[in-house]
Amino acid sequence: MSREEVFERLNAVFRDVFDDEDITVNDQTTANDIEDWDSLEHINLMAAVESEFGIKFSMGQVVTMKNVGEMADIILQKVQKG
Amino acid sequence: MSITSFYFLCLFALALVLYYVIPKKAQWAFLLLLSLGYFMTSDTVVQSGGWYVVFYLLAAVAAVWGAAIYIDRTAEPKKKRGVLVCAVLFCLGLLCVLRFFKLPLLAPLGISFYTLTLLGYLFDVYYEIGKVQKNYFRLLLFGSYFPVMISGPILKYQEMENRLYAPHKLDYRQVTFGMQRMLWGFFKVLVISERAAVIANEIFDNYDSYAGLPIWVGAVAFTFQLYTNFSGCMDIVLGISQCFGIELPENFRAPFLSRSISEYWRRWHITLGTWLREYLFYPLLRTKFFMQLPKTLKPKLGKKRAKQATTFLAMFLLWFAIGYWHGGTWNFIIGSGLLHWFYIVSGELLEPFFAKWKRSWHISEENRLFVFFQRLRTFALVTLGLVFFRSPTVPDAVRMIGRGFSAANFRILWDGSLFSYGLDWIEFTILAVSLLLFGWVSVRQQKGWLREKLEKKPLVLRWAVLYALLFYVILLGQYGPEYSAAEFIYQNFRA
Repeated sequence: MSREEVFERLNAVFRDVFDDEDITVNDQTTANDIEDWDSLEHINLMAAVESEFGIKFSMGQVVTMKNVGEMADIILQKVQKG
Repeated sequence: MSITSFYFLCLFALALVLYYVIPKKAQWAFLLLLSLGYFMTSDTVVQSGGWYVVFYLLAAVAAVWGAAIYIDRTAEPKKKRGVLVCAVLFCLGLLCVLRFFKLPLLAPLGISFYTLTLLGYLFDVYYEIGKVQKNYFRLLLFGSYFPVMISGPILKYQEMENRLYAPHKLDYRQVTFGMQRMLWGFFKVLVISERAAVIANEIFDNYDSYAGLPIWVGAVAFTFQLYTNFSGCMDIVLGISQCFGIELPENFRAPFLSRSISEYWRRWHITLGTWLREYLFYPLLRTKFFMQLPKTLKPKLGKKRAKQATTFLAMFLLWFAIGYWHGGTWNFIIGSGLLHWFYIVSGELLEPFFAKWKRSWHISEENRLFVFFQRLRTFALVTLGLVFFRSPTVPDAVRMIGRGFSAANFRILWDGSLFSYGLDWIEFTILAVSLLLFGWVSVRQQKGWLREKLEKKPLVLRWAVLYALLFYVILLGQYGPEYSAAEFIYQNFRA
């Protein structure tokens, strides 16, 4: 899976979770850029990303992920491993 | 030994000199000695002769230390998990037995705080966020660092490891800033909190003889007493630590400027909130049960409501834990727990109506009057919760609130009754003026620390301000019994 593909699928997940069809995420997107992205939605988002890609983040990754770029890196790593 | 006592300040000054004289490599060991010394001379130990309580601390640190090393070395997830669960149960078991079950056992100083601090470290190692500390004594210092022993803040190991064990050179600015911050803390605790306590005690202890407005005067006095005491203690604690060159996390960010209850909880007792969110709330939401629940509820409630219901259930458990941690009885569970859960849930559910209402009245979010209303509302809701917190039992709190609505006697505000709750008009005026000063500084503080601004002012003005505050505290501080001559003499008999 390419990085672009990951971002494409992430966009769909973000749009679904935050109920906003205009969201487009990039490497630098953080919780500050999306209004509803609070600590609660973060957990919902993680769950949605996990089921989209069929992976499981560790609790450490959930808490320390800094931006969507980092999220994509972790996803690529996990998908290629599995 | 209270941190506002004269002895403590003398020992602190002495310790500070020694700290910067001894070799830098030995500084952390010196802090450990100070911490254990402080622990052993705390009131629980001295008053009862129960020196053995130190073993509870040593055992909790040993359990966490050993478990973390094991978890770090083992590759098998099952074994890691088993050891984690054992260590957590051991520490929480100690905490519950000593603090909540009302057994005739002594609870050591700061057990609620050091237990969370240590468990946070263990979780970080388990989640592979943080590094493991192999040296038992270093971990012991992390768990027992004396400024935070009294009432937090709850520390995070990754933040602290570079500060606690590092060599610290004497930095004049850090030491003076630390001392100024301590002075500000003393002002809050001794001048404001101790005075507000007089009114709060009078009303809460005799609520049956009051009705109407005096009840709310007492309730508001308690809110001020608690906030200035807790945040003042934090100023002293952070100030002490700053003098040693060790920065600690902030626990308060002017919580009463919050516009909603959820914002209030992000600004009040911040380190507890962060701890519970990261180590209780997140893991809870990621359990199979909570991951599955929105899917189960979706056909009945729809996607949005299903997600909401799941969150509310998890929040219920979180707020129950917050209330329980504060004292383990129902008045705490309701006053600092479930009532706040109720506020937040009803706020979320009513949000669409509020939004509609605001639109139809053309109220903008940034309207100053509206912001003021929101802040006042937060203050009132928190104060209502604190009535439960302060009352001995839940029925007492309910009766007291009931009495608060049983009369409309606004004349007490001008007929002199205000001066009959334990503070005469001079004392009352001192309290009011000090509160205004405190409020003004808190609001200004939002735009950056006033101390840094003060630093740029001319020397004479700087010293004038500091001396004014110092004398204000010395002259107007209500000192506890430790300062009275009788108590002073009595101490000699106890030893």
